[in-house]
Amino acid sequence: MSERVITYLEAVREAMSQEMRKNEDVFILGEDIGVYGGAFGVTRGMIEEFGPERVRNTPISEAAIAGTAVGAALTGMRPILEIQFSDFITIAMDQIVNQAAKIRYMYGGKGKVPMVVRLPGGSGTGAAAQHSQSLEAWTAHIPGLKVVQPSTAYDAKGLLKAAMDDDNPVIFYEHKLLYKTSWEVPEEQYSIPLGVADIKREGKDVTIVATGIMVHKALEAARELEKEGIDVEIVDPRTLVPLDKETIINSVKKTGKLIVVHEAVKRGGFGGEIASVVAESEAFDYLDAPIVRLGGKEVPIPYNPNLEKAAIPQVPDIIQAVKETVRFK
Amino acid sequence: MAHEIFMPKLSSTMQVGTLLQWFKNEGDPVEIGEPIFEIMTDKINIEVEAYEEGILLKKYFHADDQVPVNQIIGYIGEPGEVVPDESPGIASDESTDDASKEESSSTEATVEVVDNVTSEGNLENEKVRATPAARRVARENGVNLALVQGRGPNGRVHEQDVLDYLKGNHVKATPLAKKLAQAEGVDLSTVKGTGVGGKVVKDDVVSVLQPATPAVSTDVKPEAKRVKLQGMRKVIADRMVQSKNTAPHVTLTTEVDMSKVKELRASLLPIIEKQTGYRVSFTEIIVKAVGQTLTRHKKVNASLIGDEIVYNEEVNVGLAVAVEDGLLVPVLNNVDKKGLASLTTEAKEISKLAREMKLKPNQMQGSTFTVSNLGMYAIDGFTPVINQPEVAILGVGRIQDKPVVDNGTIVIRPMMTLSLSFDHRAIDGAPAAEFLTELKRVLENPYELLV
Repeated sequence: MSERVITYLEAVREAMSQEMRKNEDVFILGEDIGVYGGAFGVTRGMIEEFGPERVRNTPISEAAIAGTAVGAALTGMRPILEIQFSDFITIAMDQIVNQAAKIRYMYGGKGKVPMVVRLPGGSGTGAAAQHSQSLEAWTAHIPGLKVVQPSTAYDAKGLLKAAMDDDNPVIFYEHKLLYKTSWEVPEEQYSIPLGVADIKREGKDVTIVATGIMVHKALEAARELEKEGIDVEIVDPRTLVPLDKETIINSVKKTGKLIVVHEAVKRGGFGGEIASVVAESEAFDYLDAPIVRLGGKEVPIPYNPNLEKAAIPQVPDIIQAVKETVRFK
Repeated sequence: MAHEIFMPKLSSTMQVGTLLQWFKNEGDPVEIGEPIFEIMTDKINIEVEAYEEGILLKKYFHADDQVPVNQIIGYIGEPGEVVPDESPGIASDESTDDASKEESSSTEATVEVVDNVTSEGNLENEKVRATPAARRVARENGVNLALVQGRGPNGRVHEQDVLDYLKGNHVKATPLAKKLAQAEGVDLSTVKGTGVGGKVVKDDVVSVLQPATPAVSTDVKPEAKRVKLQGMRKVIADRMVQSKNTAPHVTLTTEVDMSKVKELRASLLPIIEKQTGYRVSFTEIIVKAVGQTLTRHKKVNASLIGDEIVYNEEVNVGLAVAVEDGLLVPVLNNVDKKGLASLTTEAKEISKLAREMKLKPNQMQGSTFTVSNLGMYAIDGFTPVINQPEVAILGVGRIQDKPVVDNGTIVIRPMMTLSLSFDHRAIDGAPAAEFLTELKRVLENPYELLV
């Protein structure tokens, strides 16, 4: 058993480093990831260990980074891309959506694109509208891509291992505000299979399905609600694609109530998918209150720190939604 | 397979029916079309016929039980077939369809009914609001959700509400006992039932209540009989209030010399009796005259529905008929097009059905004007209440010999007072007066009716 506590950021770095020591095919590429260590310092120290051949600084072109990675993957490498801010995936979208996601299918499995796209996402750092978005629903919509959203250092390390082992392109969302959070993380390598949700808190009154940083806000809300005798269950899907429907459905069957929370804009967000999965499932007959979605407001993330907070769900919003939902239990 | 017998839905607003009596016992053979039980709705008492033949296998309800629409009341099937011990709840869709086919005539638009929320729970005319979980639990336990009080927004029924209802229902009790227990705050589960199978009846609740209300005085006062305002009485009450509250009533009266009607009746009496077996009465002649006059006074033959005045094409005259503890208004259709012989037959037959409470719903619908005749009593004139959505009603008083002035001399004539109440929202005084004046003229020259 490991007593060791490291940060989310260190867990991501450790997952990459451990794999790169074992597997010569794995390399990382991105903007300023060498001596500078990347925008958030995730790769700091890696160029010293692995050298500039395997920790490659690139020009400032996400399209080029992604295209290079697709080509490298097709020829047998297993690249990891770091996109400085997840917002910039929009520039790499053609390579990711039209090439990476399609090639294995279109060539009948004769080629494959094993690559991991690492994306620091989310708001809360005062980085304003172009550097704070949560666009995971864009990628979750594309068949051929897997989408991962770890909420803890432990999950980040294990899921990144699984992502690197996967023979398909995996979109890996890291939350900027989580980089500094610390958790017990085993030193040895381990893999958390993609498509297995984690019940972060067991409860019986209401199910909250939360993703990314919202898992922590939901946990905080649950601690408050516990004082009032409301017992919240929190399900963290961990991967949006593949989605562990069974865990979500079983939880809703148990509690009869569902709240979905994500930071991404509510309109068109992945919460709609989760709500629909439940409504279409056998859990329907167990629903005892309307499903509630909490998501970002329909505005670009504001620069003003107060407005920035107001634009996404906060703990009091979750508490209020829960109280409303369990009112008739 | 055993066939379900269920509480039929006899009108678009019917939610529950009271089972009045069974005509068959368990084990009795039943033919298609044979009446098996009688029910009372808020409008009508009716015998329900069997749609299947076989043996009456099971009766789940007793006389005076209130049963929700489509609730399974019993089963008809082969001897020895096994059926559930308790009513499984609402009848399956298929048989509901059958029922609505059978009753299609009666489920069509009804003019009669004041929305009538009866007995317990949420019996509004709309779909029950309930969460999926509440629906599942109700389905699993055979609970009619319409009877469950929902605590959610707009009465939405939640799972817990159904569970509470079930808990309350663990105790078998008659509806009266339940209502009494609720009103007096008695927990039914603490009451020992003395009815069939431990069912709690009213007296059980009363006996629990007695110690709580110690007899202060010993002198026993004779207690007034109390009858609940329900069924037909309730409908009459509601409709009278509604009519009086919404329609500004104005009543015009006139005296009619009935000499010639009397002559006409005397000469037609043997002819019609020979033809139909019925004796033509003044009522039929008056109805005929009313029908004739209405064709020329469209404003009086109208209905006020919502914010529209509907000028009816047909002349259908409702005839107020006193029945035991109530009043029904069977309808004579197209009276302007019928001769006195057929009107007599129809009026006699439909009045008989009314008195026997055997009218079908469609025989009480569609009237465009109503005649209320109190002439058999010592009543001269009165102010009848409009039978909405109609806009006018004619009250008929007795025929009495009176001295009247004719050409400067006092003569004795059989006189009758007509009272026309009209809804001043829809008609004004002058056209109403024209109608009544013409009706008087027609009755004083009744041979016009023969033209």
